[in-house]
Amino acid sequence: METANASGLQRCPTSTLQPFRESLNVPALAPFDAVKNLGRHRPTTEPALVRWLLIVLALLFLALFLVLPLLSVFVQALSKGLGFYVRTLDDPLTWSAIKLTLIAAGISVPMNCLFGVAAAWAIAKFDFAGKQVLTALIDLPFSISPVISGFAYVLVFGAQGWLGPWLAARGIQIIFAVPGIVLVTVFVTFPFVARELIPLMQSQGRAEEEAARTLGARGGQMFWRITLPNIKWGLLYGVILCNARAMGEFGAVSVVSGHIAGRTDTLPLHVEFLYNGYDLTGAFAVASMLTLLALVTLALKAWIERKESSLKL
Amino acid sequence: MSVEVRNLTKQFGRFPALHGVSLKVESGELVALLGPSGSGKTTLLRIIGGLEFPDSPDSRVFFYGEEVTHVPAHKRRAGFAFQHYALFRHLNVFENIAFGLRVLPFWSRPKESVIRARVEKLLKLIQLETFGNRFPSQLSGGQRQRVALARALAVEPRVLLLDEPFGALDAKVRKELRQWLRRLHQEIHVTTLFVTHDQEEALEVSDRVAILREGRIEQVGTPQEIYDHPATPFVYDFLGHVNVFAGRVRDGAVEIGEGRFAAPATAGQTAAAASAFVRPHDIRVTRQPGGPAAFAARLKHCHAVGPFARLELERLDTRESFTVQLSQEQFQTLQPRPDETVFVELKNVKVFPEDYSI
Repeated sequence: METANASGLQRCPTSTLQPFRESLNVPALAPFDAVKNLGRHRPTTEPALVRWLLIVLALLFLALFLVLPLLSVFVQALSKGLGFYVRTLDDPLTWSAIKLTLIAAGISVPMNCLFGVAAAWAIAKFDFAGKQVLTALIDLPFSISPVISGFAYVLVFGAQGWLGPWLAARGIQIIFAVPGIVLVTVFVTFPFVARELIPLMQSQGRAEEEAARTLGARGGQMFWRITLPNIKWGLLYGVILCNARAMGEFGAVSVVSGHIAGRTDTLPLHVEFLYNGYDLTGAFAVASMLTLLALVTLALKAWIERKESSLKL
Repeated sequence: MSVEVRNLTKQFGRFPALHGVSLKVESGELVALLGPSGSGKTTLLRIIGGLEFPDSPDSRVFFYGEEVTHVPAHKRRAGFAFQHYALFRHLNVFENIAFGLRVLPFWSRPKESVIRARVEKLLKLIQLETFGNRFPSQLSGGQRQRVALARALAVEPRVLLLDEPFGALDAKVRKELRQWLRRLHQEIHVTTLFVTHDQEEALEVSDRVAILREGRIEQVGTPQEIYDHPATPFVYDFLGHVNVFAGRVRDGAVEIGEGRFAAPATAGQTAAAASAFVRPHDIRVTRQPGGPAAFAARLKHCHAVGPFARLELERLDTRESFTVQLSQEQFQTLQPRPDETVFVELKNVKVFPEDYSI
């Protein structure tokens, strides 16, 4: 039985390939020739000239549109010397912007971490009505312009908004204040963690959790001992991207902040404030901090990716 | 009685997985749930393990007389081994096996030294003493399945449930592992149910076999009973290759072509069309017609590699084809040639009324 199958399999390729060979007018290669030629002429390899041209083109493009602007940020920031650079950063307005940015990121990242894990868990491990809708909704902040989401919050929480009068009567201010900034930051960065975890959890399936259950683990033990360790690298990855966006968000925050220097300016808004005030060097000095944050994020992201792929089964 | 299920019914959406399944498993027994894919055998196992729950209010699951129908998996103490092992990939072999002990509530959790001793004993039992520090990704399929078994045994389960335990392994490892499982069961004697779609595996390993088809239990019995007295054509066919001949029952015998074969079970039945089931090794092929118990057939194809030779034949009257298995010795004596006409004698003919179908 087995042998019959095996010989059947061997016969098959020749008979199915034969008509193609004939129609292409290619002489049938002896198996040995085919192997010898494989090394030199892979069917997907282009001539050397084309390859080099493509590589040089890509590098030129990267240099012109990515590296050059990035470098210019640091060159501009340090153009009046290190002393001036340090003095700009030591400015109380800059400090308050740093503080506000840390507050916004410090609240929105843990919140979205929680939301993200909960949403991904629900979507990946359970079947329920409205699952498709929830999956689509998670992507909403990505597909909508940040400025629009900012305006949406103004319409709901602003003085003329739906909830504005009710909130004002109780002395709660959301728009043009810190709570508004935190809220839009949460909204804009919502998808990062969930988007990262959903495919990961889906590919891992439910089997390990079920195994933990049959071994006597209660819900919490299953989560802390099995689920969380399995997703920790994906979660960290999502958190890092989420944090980068939370600190760098401009559009939505700009709409709800009201630009009160020293009170509702985050770092990106402060860069704009300095730039509009013709303090170019100051603007670039602050911008250089955000750029450094981006570089650190990239480095961490690369490190996690390496770690993650080395742990794959 | 250690495990009993009564009247289990389960539906997935509009697809019915189980229709009123009842089964009793004696303490210390090794029972195979055998059936084709989609027959509901895995669903049955998962309901016993508490990973699924039956739909119908009169469905019941009992462990040692105690009803556990709605008890969640983590409170049932039913060891479960999954088809794809489901080992915890971030824990090494030692910690995988120790998991069930470490999650015990602190008042009943054994001391670290006790845990260590028990895991080491289990590592020895699965012959992987030196593998405690390895991670699941560093093990072969057979080793992973053994770790999964040890992990399930560590909590001293009341019943061991194995879902296609050897399904993802290659043929050789499969055979070794199922003999190992048999020996292991003799050693520890824990009540075990295992799901398989491989009839050879079920017949070789288990004390009893339950055959499932489309969410119902078709027959339960020892491997010998099931093989010798299949209750339905489905069981007959599922337990190995079988030839089906269209014929007529008359006077306690079945007529196939010009041949008449004894079929005592049909005595007293009125004459009617029937299907006769005969295993390939219960057929004799000769060149001379040997009396009334033979009919003529044409030889289409011979395949003689291995311990047995296989002949494909075709009935001359109805052109139905069938398979005959001969020993190499018989094959050499016969020296059959393709397209030759031969005579066929049948032994152990099993007749089911015509309205049965496979």
